Amino acid sequence: MANENKNNSSLRVYLFVFFSVVLLALSVWVVWDDEFGLRPWKKYQEDYKTLKHDKLERDYKKAVVEFERSGGHKKLAELEAKLDKAEAAFQSKETQEKYARLNKQLDAAHEALTVTQKELRNLRGQFLETEYYFTKTQLPEYKAKMDVLQRQIDSVGLRVAAQQKIEDSFKESLSIVTAPKAAIQGEIEKMKNPLEEAKEKIAKNEKVSVEIKQIHIPDIDKADRCQSCHIGIDAKSSVSSVQPFTKHPLSVIYLEKHDPNKFGCTFCHRGQGRATTTAEKAHGNIKHWDEPMLSGDMTQTSCLNCHGDIKGLRGAEKIIKSTELIKKYGCYSCHKIPGYETVGDVGPILTEVGTKVNYSWEVKWLMDPKSYSSISRMPKFYFTQDQAESIADYLFSMTGTTRHDIDNTKTKPDAKLVEAGKALWAQSRCNLCHVTGGRGGNNVKVYAPELSKVGGKVNKEWLFKWIKNPNAYNPGTKMPRFRFTDEEINSLVAFITTEYQDEDMEYKYVQPVEIKPASIAKGKELVQKYGCYGCHKMLGMEDMVQVAPSLKKQGVTFLRNAEMREKIGMELSSIGSKPVDMLDFGKMKKSISNDRLTYIKQKLRDPRGYRLGLRMPNFRLAESEINELASVLYGFTDANVPTRFLVPSRQELDRMAGVSSYKFTGDFAKVIADVKCTNCHMIRGIGADYAPDLSFAGSKLQESWIRNFLANPDVIRPLLQQMPKFGLTSGKPLAKVTMPRFNLGKQKVEDTNKTDVDVVINFFQQELLSSDIPKDIPKITSLTLPEQITKGKQLYDLKGCKACHQIGTDGGALGPNLTNVGNRLNPGFIFKHLENARKFKQDIVEPNYGFTETERIYLTNFLMTLKLNTK
Amino acid sequence: MNPFIEIITQPDNIAIVIMIFMVSFFMVWAFQQAFHNDRLLAAGLPVDGENDKFVDTFKPLVRIELIIALVVMVGLTVWSILVDAPLEEIANPTLTPNPAKAPWYFLGLQELLVYFDPWLAGVVLPSLIVVGLIAIPYIDINPKGNGYYTFAERKWSIIIFSFGFFVLWLLLIVIGVFFRGPGWLWYWPWQEWDHARVVFEPFRDLSSVVGVDSRSMAGFIIGAVVTGAYLIGGMVAPYMYWKKNHPEFLTKLGMIRYITIVFLFINMMSIPIKMVLRLVFLIKYVWITPWFSI
Amino acid sequence: MKSLPEITDKVKKNLIWKSIFRRDYRNTVRDRAQAVFGNVFLHLHPVQVRESAVKLRFTWGMGGITFFAFIILVITGVVLMFYYHPSIEQAYTDIKDLEYQVPYGVILRNLHRWGAHFMVIVVMIHMFRVFMTGSYKAPRQFNWGVGVILLVLTFLLSFTGYLTPWDQLGFWAITVGTNMGAATPFLGYQGPFSEFLHITPFNDVRFALLGGALVGGNALLRSYIWHCVAIPLVATILMMVHFWRVRKDGGISKPQK
Repeated sequence: MANENKNNSSLRVYLFVFFSVVLLALSVWVVWDDEFGLRPWKKYQEDYKTLKHDKLERDYKKAVVEFERSGGHKKLAELEAKLDKAEAAFQSKETQEKYARLNKQLDAAHEALTVTQKELRNLRGQFLETEYYFTKTQLPEYKAKMDVLQRQIDSVGLRVAAQQKIEDSFKESLSIVTAPKAAIQGEIEKMKNPLEEAKEKIAKNEKVSVEIKQIHIPDIDKADRCQSCHIGIDAKSSVSSVQPFTKHPLSVIYLEKHDPNKFGCTFCHRGQGRATTTAEKAHGNIKHWDEPMLSGDMTQTSCLNCHGDIKGLRGAEKIIKSTELIKKYGCYSCHKIPGYETVGDVGPILTEVGTKVNYSWEVKWLMDPKSYSSISRMPKFYFTQDQAESIADYLFSMTGTTRHDIDNTKTKPDAKLVEAGKALWAQSRCNLCHVTGGRGGNNVKVYAPELSKVGGKVNKEWLFKWIKNPNAYNPGTKMPRFRFTDEEINSLVAFITTEYQDEDMEYKYVQPVEIKPASIAKGKELVQKYGCYGCHKMLGMEDMVQVAPSLKKQGVTFLRNAEMREKIGMELSSIGSKPVDMLDFGKMKKSISNDRLTYIKQKLRDPRGYRLGLRMPNFRLAESEINELASVLYGFTDANVPTRFLVPSRQELDRMAGVSSYKFTGDFAKVIADVKCTNCHMIRGIGADYAPDLSFAGSKLQESWIRNFLANPDVIRPLLQQMPKFGLTSGKPLAKVTMPRFNLGKQKVEDTNKTDVDVVINFFQQELLSSDIPKDIPKITSLTLPEQITKGKQLYDLKGCKACHQIGTDGGALGPNLTNVGNRLNPGFIFKHLENARKFKQDIVEPNYGFTETERIYLTNFLMTLKLNTK
Repeated sequence: MNPFIEIITQPDNIAIVIMIFMVSFFMVWAFQQAFHNDRLLAAGLPVDGENDKFVDTFKPLVRIELIIALVVMVGLTVWSILVDAPLEEIANPTLTPNPAKAPWYFLGLQELLVYFDPWLAGVVLPSLIVVGLIAIPYIDINPKGNGYYTFAERKWSIIIFSFGFFVLWLLLIVIGVFFRGPGWLWYWPWQEWDHARVVFEPFRDLSSVVGVDSRSMAGFIIGAVVTGAYLIGGMVAPYMYWKKNHPEFLTKLGMIRYITIVFLFINMMSIPIKMVLRLVFLIKYVWITPWFSI
Repeated sequence: MKSLPEITDKVKKNLIWKSIFRRDYRNTVRDRAQAVFGNVFLHLHPVQVRESAVKLRFTWGMGGITFFAFIILVITGVVLMFYYHPSIEQAYTDIKDLEYQVPYGVILRNLHRWGAHFMVIVVMIHMFRVFMTGSYKAPRQFNWGVGVILLVLTFLLSFTGYLTPWDQLGFWAITVGTNMGAATPFLGYQGPFSEFLHITPFNDVRFALLGGALVGGNALLRSYIWHCVAIPLVATILMMVHFWRVRKDGGISKPQK
């Protein structure tokens, strides 16, 4: 028994020792882990230090090389020899005696000054004390004492000043003695300085301590420790191109405009700013962290957090481009997206579509829009033949009672008429917006329908009415009303319906077939379920009465206005910060990565892929478009943005300032509504940037030129940027037509007796003026006008203007043609434009030559002589 | 990853795995010693420790305590180094996780929610459990088996306690942790959780089985009768049995003790009974009253 | 040069040494007894114990392990309190910073978390062992009751600690848990008969538990105080009673036939 006990006892001792050792080892492990395992930034900082050291070392060597290259050693030797000489001179007995004497005198003077200064300090102290008692007690005796003291202070002060002067004079004398030596020493210093500086930097780098770097911004609850690893992110130059040592790309925009100490890192980049233990955690690529880091172009999505208006924002190019897609595809039609509440419908009005298109076409289109036009924006809804027919029935029943087709190929129009139509087509530059056969459509923002197969789609009667007055059919259309005669329209219709036929089209309902009410009801259900009215205006019952009174008898019901008001899609205003747990991955849960970005992309790629019963149609986006759209959606967050970050849009600023945003008024508004100038031109912030900005056209252009140009749009810019000829007046078309010829001037504007050209010119001259642009240029009296013109011509040649501008046939084609500039532009505009071309157009390529005012006057006078005689 | 591996390696679930191993180990050890002692008792020999000698506390006991402390410390440290305590997303009152689970040691009670209304599963039954546990020494009048492992000498108390402890407490915890997924639906550990899964269970109430609307007066009466019969029958039946077969035991027990034991026992047994009713016969409520449902 | 025994002898004769250890230890019966009752920590034990108490197989050491786990939790918990603010603005980031910023924060939190789980497991096994050895029987009935309450307190300690990180796990676990309170008969607004007492969500048991109708800042503060002050205090007092009664009821139970 005792033996066993003893064994037991020694076993226990061994166990005790063993586990103690294990625990000790574990403690060492814990310490190691905490010092190194969990602190990877320490190594990064050390590595950075080494990299920086190497770089500074290189800089130092470069400085040394530079020093030697510029003969530094020789110069230094010379200077040192000089210094020796100066030293010898300084050491001469005579100078030394003088030096010692002056020093002694200076010491004495300084001593005297110190004593007096002390006396002054004492007096001031006494004065302050007395003043204190006086303010407290208001006794006159203190006042009297103060006066005495003040007098003393004044006199001692004078003494101090005098002594100071004496001291200064001695100092000056001394410096004259030492001046030659000091000057040479200074020069030596200056030569050595770059080397010293480089060396100092190296020494400073060595002293940098390894520590957590943190930016703390309380109001957005950020503590970003990113710089603990990305140690050189705010440096001026990178020491390495390897992460995490690089500097921030384009820091001129991103960091300088967004001081990291105010914005932190994760406000734009997301990720987990507090994390320091691993890159995955810091970058937020872990479970239970919903905000993975944004990098590269994707980061631009964060611009949307604060910038109300990203138009023209530098550094936001990608997101600006991506945002266009929201407008292009009209996401806001079905989804609520803040900021897009007032953007118009993306699809055409459908109320009277039965009078416009063939029934067979409508069905085919509904089933697969891309089969008709590869560039169509309408998504695929995966309708069956039955469903598509029901919807078509519903649409056609608004204006009739039958399914009907008209086969345009059956009627052969007059060849001459077609020929005339073709010419008109070209001269009206229809291809500027419309694509046919893969050509045209340069003005991409108009999204005009492709017309390659339009002959199989629309009927001639409708086409005629449409061209005659597009607003009558669809008040919101972008299609301008050309001032064609009926004859001209007939020729265009003949040309379009003959030229652009649809070979694949089957006309099943040339013999009209009665529509069944049951099918209409089914169509209505589908229209409601899939929310067609999100993109297409489809009048509700209240507005239907006048369109189709006959149908009420048949007991057909239509959607009511109230039913059409709701957005059928999910609200997207905070999709970019929606918790991942709220996203339903459904069937895809296992096959794709469960994060927000992947979810959005997959949704765009295959909108109905997550589970059965989803309604979103497939836009068949290119992968690049998916990435772009996803990056925009990712920027729609409910992030907590402090007001100091917000950059309101111009509209918001206007609203805050009580300024209503610009609106066209009066007669010009009527012309705009008709001709849609803003499809291409920008006027006071409204419109597109396809054609020149006309905001200050009144100051810029001469009246007669405008009149002429509207009649015969001429080539002033390279072909791609030309304006179609709308044919605004009856002038003969030129060979090279630029802007469409709208035939303006023929008709009076509604309710007035002015022609539309007059209205345009009147508006330009009344409204589109800039207070910066003078009407006339300053006069120079020292030279005669011809002399000034000659000088201007010389300048024109000297500065190489003709590299870009053409006069006659001479010169480059990058800038506008100047052959007729004297007739086109006002001298005041040229004068101002030469001063700073960017003032009126941000992205202009013209360089700034820094002309003097006189030079600008010469040039302007010269340019004003360039007039093309068109008569 | 394999869903099974995934669910058992979740940091918090590692504790449950450890619990399963520890509890199984000690259960086996306890019964092994109990049966060992039973054999000794049957042979008329003293049980383990009966003829213990005394030893000094210092140092044998102190030493073993220190070793155990070291082992525990080592184990916890290794566990803490290898597995990081989870921290989920910041609390978000608008985002309810599915399933929202209580802490693991309360999952047995959460599991009871499937079978009972919250006032029973969450309040009455837990209170009865605590009261019942405290009452054990006062209602167990068996003088045998005091201070040593034995099964033969206190068969019934061990069976009843083990049933409550292993089945109604620990097993339900394990079910709650590993077998319950979104919507508190049953998932095998190797099954993938599907948040959209819908399971239709055609539940009915007891009286609807015989065609009476459980919310009608008749249904109320049927429910009251059945519930009453269970309670009264459960209280009376053992009395009748013991009176007939072991009257001396009943006398020894006394009336108060008898009522306490049987009341606690029928409440405990109501849990498996309700589970069977629910899972096998698809009966949701036995008795529906305007104030509560059972 | 002095030999080791000489040095130890010198040390042991030193005034400071003597003041701490009071007397020399010579491994006599008297000294062994003195070592136990002369030491505040050891005097919980009797001077002599039965052999079974020294062997693992009777007690499994579970009660002691539970107490040890409690001590670990108190120590780590106190250190964690230095880095923690019980407010919904700060709690979550404090826990994050524990991992990312605080020296030894990770190991501290892990020890506390896993120690808590461990204590719950161990305390349950302790109860099982006590039942299996019939150690609740006379004269230990009262101490069993104290033990049951300590078991409940252990659950509550762990439960109140769940909310402190203010993450989804804790938030919803507490929501689910306290919703039970709302179902209390008479006193919870969803419980039976509560309408007779005019109980609403704003005056019921759950409201008292959470300091509000929903889990929020008040609930966080309450759970923090329950977790760090109130329950540990009560548990410590009951543990003192528990240990005291173990001694007074005759030490580790022994076979009584």
